[in-house]
Amino acid sequence: MKNRLKVLRAERDWSQAELAGRLDVSRQAVNAIETGKHDPSLPLAFRIARLFEMTIEEIFDDGAKS
Amino acid sequence: MSKTDNLNPGEAITRRRNRREILTYIFAGLLGGVIGFIVAFADQGDGSLFKGQWEELVLDPTIAVILAITLLLALIALPLWCFSLTDELVQKRNLIGYTGGSMAVMGGVPAWAVLHAGGLAPFPSAAGAWAIGFFATMAAFAYAWLTSR
Repeated sequence: MKNRLKVLRAERDWSQAELAGRLDVSRQAVNAIETGKHDPSLPLAFRIARLFEMTIEEIFDDGAKS
Repeated sequence: MSKTDNLNPGEAITRRRNRREILTYIFAGLLGGVIGFIVAFADQGDGSLFKGQWEELVLDPTIAVILAITLLLALIALPLWCFSLTDELVQKRNLIGYTGGSMAVMGGVPAWAVLHAGGLAPFPSAAGAWAIGFFATMAAFAYAWLTSR
């Protein structure tokens, strides 16, 4: 699943460790999500969306056309 | 001034998470060392816990109970407790690892038994069944780790 996490993180000048701490996950988890190796659970996706004050759809793209 | 004073709040939390992870590894290593130390000095027979020679292993009953509790702590309680500390990525990797180990035992041991019945393998042993579970768990965990990093 594609996502804008890396861009959003860079806009705030946050390191992966900084974002990981704010989301209460490991830095490896942030890296795996950014590179598309791991799709976050729904609770984590909501935490990410709340942190960036966006909707889940604005951050994650499952490729399906609506 | 401590090293964490210059870190952003999220980075400080990540640093604490990493430190807790390292401490857990050290504790697990110490627990393994305690088990090895007890077995090395308390073994009264010709067997070996670590070489899979369990039939010849002889221990004092009190030492045996202490060792059994320590092994259950190290191989069940500690991993379960670690599950509660990790995030969903590590939990997913661990679930893949333990599923791989469980499936390998459920399929591997009966397959071994029929190979024995056909005269192609020795009789299935408890240590062998444990080894199948252990190495399959490690292999499945390695696969999960490599495909999600």
